[in-house]
Amino acid sequence: MNFWEYIGNRYAQLLTDTYQHASAVFQCMVVATLIGVLIGVATYRSEWAGNLAITSTATVLTVPSLAMIGLLIPVTGLGVAPTVTALILYGLLPIVRNAIVGLRGVDPTLVDAAKGIGMSRLSRLLRVELPLAWPPILTGIRVSTQMLMGIAAIGAYSSGPGLGNEIFRGISSLGSANALNQVLAGTLGIVILALVFDAVYVLIGRLTISRGIRA
Amino acid sequence: MSRRDRRRPRDERAPGEHEVKGLAFRDEVDVDEPAAGLARPPAPKPPRRLTWQRLTYMPAVLALILLALWLWFRGADLDSIARNSIAGGNVWLRLRQHIYLTVVSTFFVLIIAIPLGILLTRRRLRGAAPFAMAIANIGQATPAIGLLALLVIWMGIGRRAALFGIVIYAVLPVLSNTITGLRAIDPTLVEAARGIGMSAAGVLRRVELPLAVPLILAGVRTALVLNVGTATLAAFGGGGGLGDLITTGITNQRMPILVLGSVLTIVLALLVDWLASLAELLLRPRGLEGSD
Repeated sequence: MNFWEYIGNRYAQLLTDTYQHASAVFQCMVVATLIGVLIGVATYRSEWAGNLAITSTATVLTVPSLAMIGLLIPVTGLGVAPTVTALILYGLLPIVRNAIVGLRGVDPTLVDAAKGIGMSRLSRLLRVELPLAWPPILTGIRVSTQMLMGIAAIGAYSSGPGLGNEIFRGISSLGSANALNQVLAGTLGIVILALVFDAVYVLIGRLTISRGIRA
Repeated sequence: MSRRDRRRPRDERAPGEHEVKGLAFRDEVDVDEPAAGLARPPAPKPPRRLTWQRLTYMPAVLALILLALWLWFRGADLDSIARNSIAGGNVWLRLRQHIYLTVVSTFFVLIIAIPLGILLTRRRLRGAAPFAMAIANIGQATPAIGLLALLVIWMGIGRRAALFGIVIYAVLPVLSNTITGLRAIDPTLVEAARGIGMSAAGVLRRVELPLAVPLILAGVRTALVLNVGTATLAAFGGGGGLGDLITTGITNQRMPILVLGSVLTIVLALLVDWLASLAELLLRPRGLEGSD
């Protein structure tokens, strides 16, 4: 069976896997973005807390994902739980970092001006600081998503959802006629998903980055 | 800026002001923005040096983790399957394999990526750089496990396929770091070096490379950490390494083995990152000290 026949034969299974992969990454990214920006907002004003957040996220980022999933299994059991926990955890890291760096990079005179025209702390944050820090945060989200695509594939080993299952099916049937097709379908599927997500982020950037700071 | 103003004693001149025969003049150029398009100079920082804390903190934490792991593992209840999977010095063997995979792959990553990055920033080949970057971007979207599986199918089970996969996966970040580092160099410095009669090779060796060292070193650190992580996946293709303990733990449902493999991998990753950070500090050219 060649690759195209394989895809034609299994497209239902492949579509389900692709959908689950995309939806797991997407949902985890939404949660990770919310938590990450919150952590960033909570810590960027204090030198100490912000640096602690950046250092600890950098440390967690050095932990290999298979080891992280391995440590989560005794806590959460097999299945979707360890994958989702690991995805959210890794997704957080670039976002927290970029949110803090972005928020700290906002020109203090602009915040001063906003204060001067009578804006409250909250509206300064929502209408001045976050819009100005949004481009680096969005970059963080893009980096996170690319990384999560690969980590989600590894999550399949702990019975997680997604296209990783296709790859591991191929690995466990090495030497059989379909091994290459399975691995290839899983890998290419993830590459395509990652590129599609990236294109969507470029579009989101066009639509949401404030017109005043667009290059 | 406001903070600096407040700290300055009242009687001192503002930056950019000077006195000529009792009359105060102010320079045309605003000192805070030396030239249009140039970023503000970074605030003077104390030179970053090896501090005591930097040397001792991480090893102490890692030693504590290992001690805790050892105490816990000694008390853990191991049945015959679990005992079998660590018998005959298996843990030591897997650790050695893991270190071997990481070191050898990093070596190859460096001798491939750094010369390639230099080539792609030379005038003759500069046109090819965007293509290389585009390929690098697509490569970054490829899941490591898929790449490794494809190589295993193509080259057969074993260490060779794993090494190839790890190298291919880490070449891209180091390559893009090298290219960014060399491109970020102020062109006036290169021109000045050419102006005093240095050859193209001399400029590269004595001006460009030393200035790009921090970014290249950052790339090396990324590659090392990445390789420790990718090397865990070698176990899926029969390449050995600590990933083998993790996968054995998962498939046999023996939690102590799983935790042992995971914690050892994490300790190794943190240790390698710490060593690389020391190297970054020590190898940074003296002239760049204090700048970031």
